Amino acid sequence: MLSVEARGLTVRYGDYVALEDVSIEIEHPSLVVIMGPNGAGKSTFLKAVLGLIPYEGTVNVFDENPKDARRRVGYLPQREYINLNVPLKVRDVLLLSLTSRKVAVSREDVARAKETLSMVGMENFWDSRFDSLSGGQQQRVLFARALVNDPDMLILDEPFSATDVKTRISLINLLHRIKRDKTILIVLHDINPMVECTDRVMLLNRRLLAYGPVVEVITEENLEKLYGTRIPVVRQGPVCYVLGGDRHA
Amino acid sequence: MLDILLIRGIVAMFLIAIVSATIGSFSVFRGSTFFVAGIAHGALAGAALGIFISITFFEINPLIVALLFSIFFALSIGFATRRKEDVDIAVGVMFALSMSLAVLFLSMIREYATVAWGLIIGDVLLLSSGDLNILLASVMTVLIIFVLFYRKMLYVIFDRESAEAAGIRVSLHETLLFIMIAVGVVALLKCVGSILVYALLIVPAASSRRLFGSVPGTIVGAFVISLVSGLGGIALSMYLSVAPSALAGLIASAIYAISLLKR
Repeated sequence: MLSVEARGLTVRYGDYVALEDVSIEIEHPSLVVIMGPNGAGKSTFLKAVLGLIPYEGTVNVFDENPKDARRRVGYLPQREYINLNVPLKVRDVLLLSLTSRKVAVSREDVARAKETLSMVGMENFWDSRFDSLSGGQQQRVLFARALVNDPDMLILDEPFSATDVKTRISLINLLHRIKRDKTILIVLHDINPMVECTDRVMLLNRRLLAYGPVVEVITEENLEKLYGTRIPVVRQGPVCYVLGGDRHA
Repeated sequence: MLDILLIRGIVAMFLIAIVSATIGSFSVFRGSTFFVAGIAHGALAGAALGIFISITFFEINPLIVALLFSIFFALSIGFATRRKEDVDIAVGVMFALSMSLAVLFLSMIREYATVAWGLIIGDVLLLSSGDLNILLASVMTVLIIFVLFYRKMLYVIFDRESAEAAGIRVSLHETLLFIMIAVGVVALLKCVGSILVYALLIVPAASSRRLFGSVPGTIVGAFVISLVSGLGGIALSMYLSVAPSALAGLIASAIYAISLLKR
């Protein structure tokens, strides 16, 4: 079964072409890491899959129009787009997402929100103000929000930004646990922490440069094409690691 | 026995506090308080045009024209921001346009300048029963939109992109918010005037957000601060012979200054 099927996907911002003629089929379930330099169209690709922006070509998500498939998708945007002027509590952040189409919140909604919060280890922050949390803690809460509807697809735009090593490891372990029955699309600049649980890598620089298993796609030749500079790759049995990584974010 | 005008003034301050709690809080959360000031001046231009139409062509309540102008300005600002214009610039341009129109229309109705002056500074103790009815209808409209769309609007204000990804029609809910603000501003025009709309719409919510630190806390707190400021303004005006809206604005500003002491 395909979770995402794009044919000739092209996105323009005025005269600027952010994505050009991208065709790809993503299997369900699978964990796909999307890599590329700044301005490569990674977030744009995610937004097209979510139906948030106009595009040319066709995109199907679970054989539906992206807008119709949104109920099956959880989304973690880049944290800079969150408005911290709103004095929401952690519980509100989850419940707003869980009950956005309802007028009132039920007991089941609260139980579900608490359960999801505990999955990211933030259950003790239920009544805390969201804007009083550290960047890493906010990221975990937003991660829980993306999961709270138990979506079939999870779309994560730079989920490890501002997280410390401990948080990153706990989030990666969580992804390991939930990836069995979900499609997970993750934009990352450094694939190394995720190498062992990644099924496919997508190299994007406005055009699709490569898509496939980690060991086939993460090669020095592909990375040079992607970033325009030589980046060493170390192979260890069935996995490989990028030395130096792209840590510009 | 209490004077009927005083009773109307007290009822109006109660209704104004509801507008302050709802629209004021959402405007503060959204960081679009300058937007409210811009809409208030748009309303003034509309009211001035309404007076001009009434004395030149046919009878029309100036507040109705003010409402149409406010909604037009609010939607124009929304349109400009969706076209990637900076919201401050969009509001600034509309501010300039509305003030130019206001001055133009006011200069055409010089003999009725006192009527227009009433809309600039307002007077909550000179409300007719018709004015109070318009205020009541406006507040009910604001309340209905607020209650029905509270959660979705809050989600859009907090995280626009995720709200859209969750299937919420962001443009629709932003438009509803803008219309709600326009209705609320016009509701306050006759009571406190276009200059002091900002004082009673935004300042209580800004203070409350600092003092109470949660969404429901901010809303309830803004209601209480606005009510205390409004009633305090009326009470002081009995002794000082000063416009109650000005005193209410001073009280609200003093409460905001106190709220700054809280870390």
